[in-house]
Amino acid sequence: MTEHKRPKWAAWADHIRAQDDPAKNFEKPEALDDLVVLDLSSRSMAGCYCSSLLAELGAETIRVEQPGGDLVRTYSPDGIMVKDTGLAYLQEGRNKYHVTLNLETEEGRDLLKAFVGHVDILIETYPAGKMDGWGLGYEELSKLNPRLIMCSITGYGQFGPDSGRAQYDYDNVAQGRSGVQYATGEVLPEGKTMEEVPYAVSTKAGPWIAWSASATFAALSILAAVHYRGLTGEGQAIDVSTPEAYERLNDYALHWYADQGVCNERFGSLDTCLWLYGFFPTKDGGVFLGGLRLEMWKAFVDIIGKYEEWKAEEWTTLAPFMKKDWQLKYQAMINPETAKYTSHELTMKSIDYAKSGRLAPITPVVAEIVPPWNTMHDENWIDRGIFTPVQDPVYGSVVCAQAQWKSTETPPRTKWACRPVGYDNGHIYLRYFGFGPVKLKELEGKGII
Amino acid sequence: MTAFKNYVENKHKRPGPLTGLRVLEVCTLLFGPSGPSFLAELGAEVIKVELPPVGDVTRSLNPFGWFYKEQSPMFMHINPNKYYMALDLHIDIAQDIFKELCAKSDVVEFNLRPAVTNRWNIGYEDVKKVNPGIIYIEKNGFGQWGTYAEQDRPSNDGAAQALSGYAWLSSFRGRPPLKQSIWIADYYGGLMGEVAVLAALHHRKKTGKGQFIEMSQSENIMRAMGWVWPYQQVTQKGAEPSGNRDQCICPADTFLCKDNLMAAIAAPAPEEFKGLCAAMGKPELAADPRFKDHTTRLKDENALAILKIIADWARSKTADEVEEMGRKHGFAATRLHNAIDQNTDPHRRARGFVKEIDDPLYGRYVEHDFPVMMSRTPPKIKWTVRPVGFDNDYIMAKILGRSQQQISELYGHGVLGKWKDQQGRRPPPDWDGKEGMIIRR
Repeated sequence: MTEHKRPKWAAWADHIRAQDDPAKNFEKPEALDDLVVLDLSSRSMAGCYCSSLLAELGAETIRVEQPGGDLVRTYSPDGIMVKDTGLAYLQEGRNKYHVTLNLETEEGRDLLKAFVGHVDILIETYPAGKMDGWGLGYEELSKLNPRLIMCSITGYGQFGPDSGRAQYDYDNVAQGRSGVQYATGEVLPEGKTMEEVPYAVSTKAGPWIAWSASATFAALSILAAVHYRGLTGEGQAIDVSTPEAYERLNDYALHWYADQGVCNERFGSLDTCLWLYGFFPTKDGGVFLGGLRLEMWKAFVDIIGKYEEWKAEEWTTLAPFMKKDWQLKYQAMINPETAKYTSHELTMKSIDYAKSGRLAPITPVVAEIVPPWNTMHDENWIDRGIFTPVQDPVYGSVVCAQAQWKSTETPPRTKWACRPVGYDNGHIYLRYFGFGPVKLKELEGKGII
Repeated sequence: MTAFKNYVENKHKRPGPLTGLRVLEVCTLLFGPSGPSFLAELGAEVIKVELPPVGDVTRSLNPFGWFYKEQSPMFMHINPNKYYMALDLHIDIAQDIFKELCAKSDVVEFNLRPAVTNRWNIGYEDVKKVNPGIIYIEKNGFGQWGTYAEQDRPSNDGAAQALSGYAWLSSFRGRPPLKQSIWIADYYGGLMGEVAVLAALHHRKKTGKGQFIEMSQSENIMRAMGWVWPYQQVTQKGAEPSGNRDQCICPADTFLCKDNLMAAIAAPAPEEFKGLCAAMGKPELAADPRFKDHTTRLKDENALAILKIIADWARSKTADEVEEMGRKHGFAATRLHNAIDQNTDPHRRARGFVKEIDDPLYGRYVEHDFPVMMSRTPPKIKWTVRPVGFDNDYIMAKILGRSQQQISELYGHGVLGKWKDQQGRRPPPDWDGKEGMIIRR
């Protein structure tokens, strides 16, 4: 590999880094350190992820679990547990205080109401109606605290014909209901059945992206509600349905069917809308290739040495390449060419082409499709603070993806990874209500905490 | 819940929560423009600045050749509620006008290669001089510094899916990595970027201080990959894909049904699992030592065993029957929805999530609204996209107080521009020359 030569604009890069390097995050103020969040999430990582985003920005976040801990603590591949906690929650317990409270008891519900007077934001993920049934619905709680912003994240929303379904919200079911999973996946080879080719079916994304989407829409809307509250003093109720949140990230499929009667179907790792845009094989794996402007597509054809043979000089528009039959035709022509190189060779060819190619500085996007193991060990991301381990007093060194954005003033940061069930009962109940050890013992005896 | 009583009917009687905020964007494709759109749907005034006469590349993109009234349906989907300005930022007068707008704005957003804004004299330091409180965000493939950024690598959503490991985790085991059918890193990154922006605005309210934010397409999606990172740290093994099976929750998978449709099921909690076993006519499974609690069920051999049992059962039911069993027995289940369901499902319509836009240029068409209902300040889409430079006169007159003669001069010098006579850039073919224009000459 050739040695990395710094670009002409290196001074700019240094200037920015000096101000926003995540290594200096802890020297900076926190954006939301005046807000208090109560997270009542149950079974849903959407709620936990939402409160994580606020906690990463400095909000005091109190995670309320039923005694014994929430089911999310068991979410983990192969059931792996670190102390009492699965690997998934080890990511999303971050920066939160953990208390227990039994909402099935009247005294527990009274305590929850007492919390409500102290908090700005309440997040919950019970099926619609459950909180109301407990006397903890928005109507009741907003009487206690009119400034309260109460956010519900559910599978079916707070109103509409399906909102009465008393089912919990799970990521894979939300992906299924969003319409996205239906149109993602390998194409069934002609003449084969799904039983013969069980992998050529509608395929969900591996990560909990539906949950992440609803959580992030929720966090955004909560912050918007905080902004509005600053103007008027009024709180409000927020209703997010996970399948809808994820579906909103879908694009043209709704409109395409409405206007043309076309139902968007799977198209493998090509793209119904884009050319050049897809995954292609290499000697040692595969790469993503992207070139959404004609010149970028031509530059790619030049890189694989087919510029003359394919008469790229004569192409005047990308339009025909987006059609299905052309996409398939060119995919078949490209595959054997990319397979002649390693992924790294093709990546470097694209970078070099930007300097010395016939169409330079235009060059196609080439990116190696890597396993997450490589991602986690890639010096570029490590240098940019994504995988800096959190030194947790209980769980030790934990790699948590963080620094998802950098900023000069109030960057997100992770202070601790997680806490055991009820770890902060002493601290939080004392601070908020003046409950000392004797009172806590009594509450524990009654099964309230 | 009474807070949402008659929500859809009354939606347009109430302001969005961000009413009064002004946002400028110099963005193209999806990662950049998607974020400001979310703010526009939340009520902010968003001015989309494009380079004349071609503007945003997305105006050319389309599924298999289909355009709606010559416009890209994707462009329409991600750019609603904006004002459209075309300013040639290569020219110094345009740069000055842009800074004048920055002085009167709260947020400015870019997705350009690193240091381009600096070259155009509209970098953070330049803008900060005219507006110290500005929230300034740059989104691109690899951020503003680091090896990949300095190599000037271009990026797309697909590159972020590839480099983050997201695609690797999203196929069936033993199959090549699978690209998502949606531009997930772009959209999701655009969304997260606005969390950064609103948090920064909150800080500004307390301190008066603005800030500079940078976000990378790949880094952002890594945040959403949760358990993968500690899994690799704890086991010292790479995380691998598992098709439709959720590796952290059991049972949670997608199953092929009798009608060759598919249904997704999740039933990890004790009563959900019991309900599923009862639905399958095998209540005894709930007490089987292999399946006795969630952690035990997650053990790979146990998980495979229960998923096989469910798969055999699901194959004997239609997808709708599986969904109905979920309702009846209290576990999560759904038939996989597709674009037809998106259009025809009464629930989506009753919530106003799928609705008809009534647009002066593009007429009535079906669109997704913002997917969050806010009882006091409903977010909403009001109008769709505009031709390149369509609102120039309005912005120049209303916000910057320029006279018609001054505006004409700016056109003359190529500082302001209008659309090229090309699909996606010009008005729709049936446009009457007036409808939708805020200032009509």
